Amino acid sequence: MASSNVLDGFSLEGKCALVIGAERAVGRAAAVALAEAGAKMLLASQEPGTDKTLKEVAKAVQAANGNKTTTRTQNAAIRAELSATADLAFEELGGLHILVNALDVPAFGPAEEADDTSFERIIENNLKTVWMACQEAGRVMLKQGGGSIVNITSVLAERGVPSAALYCAAKAGVLNLTRALALEWARRGIRINALEAGWLDDETSVAANDDEFGKTLVKYLPDNKLIKPEELGGALLYLVSPASSFVTGESIAVDGGLRARV
Amino acid sequence: MILDSLKLDGKIALITGAGRGLGRAMAMTFAEAGADIVAASRTQVQLERTAAEVKQTGRKCLIFPADVTNSEQVNAMAAAAVKEFGRIDILVNNAGGGDDSAAKPIEQISDAEWRRGIDTNLSSQFFACRAVLPQMVKQHRGKIINLSSGYGLRGGKHNYMYVCAEGGVIQLTRTLALTYAPHNIQANCIVPGIFPHGGENEQMMKFFKGGKFIPVGRLGEDAELGPLAIFLASDASNHITGEFIAIDGGGLAGGISPTGVVPPSSH
Repeated sequence: MASSNVLDGFSLEGKCALVIGAERAVGRAAAVALAEAGAKMLLASQEPGTDKTLKEVAKAVQAANGNKTTTRTQNAAIRAELSATADLAFEELGGLHILVNALDVPAFGPAEEADDTSFERIIENNLKTVWMACQEAGRVMLKQGGGSIVNITSVLAERGVPSAALYCAAKAGVLNLTRALALEWARRGIRINALEAGWLDDETSVAANDDEFGKTLVKYLPDNKLIKPEELGGALLYLVSPASSFVTGESIAVDGGLRARV
Repeated sequence: MILDSLKLDGKIALITGAGRGLGRAMAMTFAEAGADIVAASRTQVQLERTAAEVKQTGRKCLIFPADVTNSEQVNAMAAAAVKEFGRIDILVNNAGGGDDSAAKPIEQISDAEWRRGIDTNLSSQFFACRAVLPQMVKQHRGKIINLSSGYGLRGGKHNYMYVCAEGGVIQLTRTLALTYAPHNIQANCIVPGIFPHGGENEQMMKFFKGGKFIPVGRLGEDAELGPLAIFLASDASNHITGEFIAIDGGGLAGGISPTGVVPPSSH
């Protein structure tokens, strides 16, 4: 490898990154990790009406590396908006080397109570958004000659959880979408990998509640701890950076050992 | 800062199979990242070369000639590391490797060949983990990195010992991870694709046709393995355990269809 020290491969100095879903805890943590490693960034939202939160994240990110950080509030379920976001990232930052999809709308509830809109809604929020973002950023990256994409999914991609059939299906969809796209773009310079988050301690997590499910779950985990969003940063940095130049179509679970048991 | 969490300054890394090839490259990489090294392998002369190279980076290097299939020697290796440095932060189980001559029809495999194959690639890693764990538990801190193979996850025609041993390494890793999670010890596996390292380069390149069957269209370069090992040895991976990570140019993501051809479009 050209770098003089093995640690240089993890640096994102001079890299241009787009983080989608940056108004949420996981997206925010992703943005901060990338900023600390030196990336220039466009932070885009998952949902509209999130300007204030997104600006706050941008401020935290800018504090981490001093680079100018732009924001764009968008609805990630609308293709035209994702398309404009990908183009804007390329223009504003002078390239698009990294895409992080931190897209997630948890959905739990009994299957027999799900109505006719549930399927479309849950699959759209958790899978279609990721697919369209990969396509739109991929279009820019293919023209540019390459890039690195990380789709943040969940360990629910690996196994079933009751009351979450559609959500589990969407998360598994993201994982296998990642593998297939990795193969398709392998010789065109785009690497694409997944990060499977374990049970998270964040604002929308069903695991973080002080109820029977939350309490039982924590006891069940190998190290009895939920994963904090910022604990995803190391694996994310490995996967987006040149340090993982021979890794594509792979997933890394950050789950405190949970996947080793199931 | 996230980049600082990758540094290994002041850590002690015990690396087996460090006399040549990938193991020597690992020793150098860990030294570059700031760790002092305990290098083990069978051959003293090779270890001396590793030590000389490590010392050029300004790090310390203790060498310990050992046959990792011999548990007494492995225990002595761990004891020597603790005696010299007072701790063992990282174990890299790199010793072992495939042996094409061992792949043959099942009825031709002797008991001794079976046991040798399992010993080389599985017992050796088990022995080394067993030898360092008491010290890591005492420290309430430790990182174990086991080298497995794509053959740990797939079958291989006639390749009984290697495939079973490498699959065993993955299961060993998961079991260590679950057992030692409360002790703040993380155990993970690296699953390398094809890396034509060392002097075999040209011959291997020819044999593997330059990596045409690999999705990215090339073989791995030794230097590409270093960052993954450093990541798994560092604080940046403190919440990853029992995991295997393939570094194989997309190999494991596919395999259902042959590389290089695409189904006709029905759009």
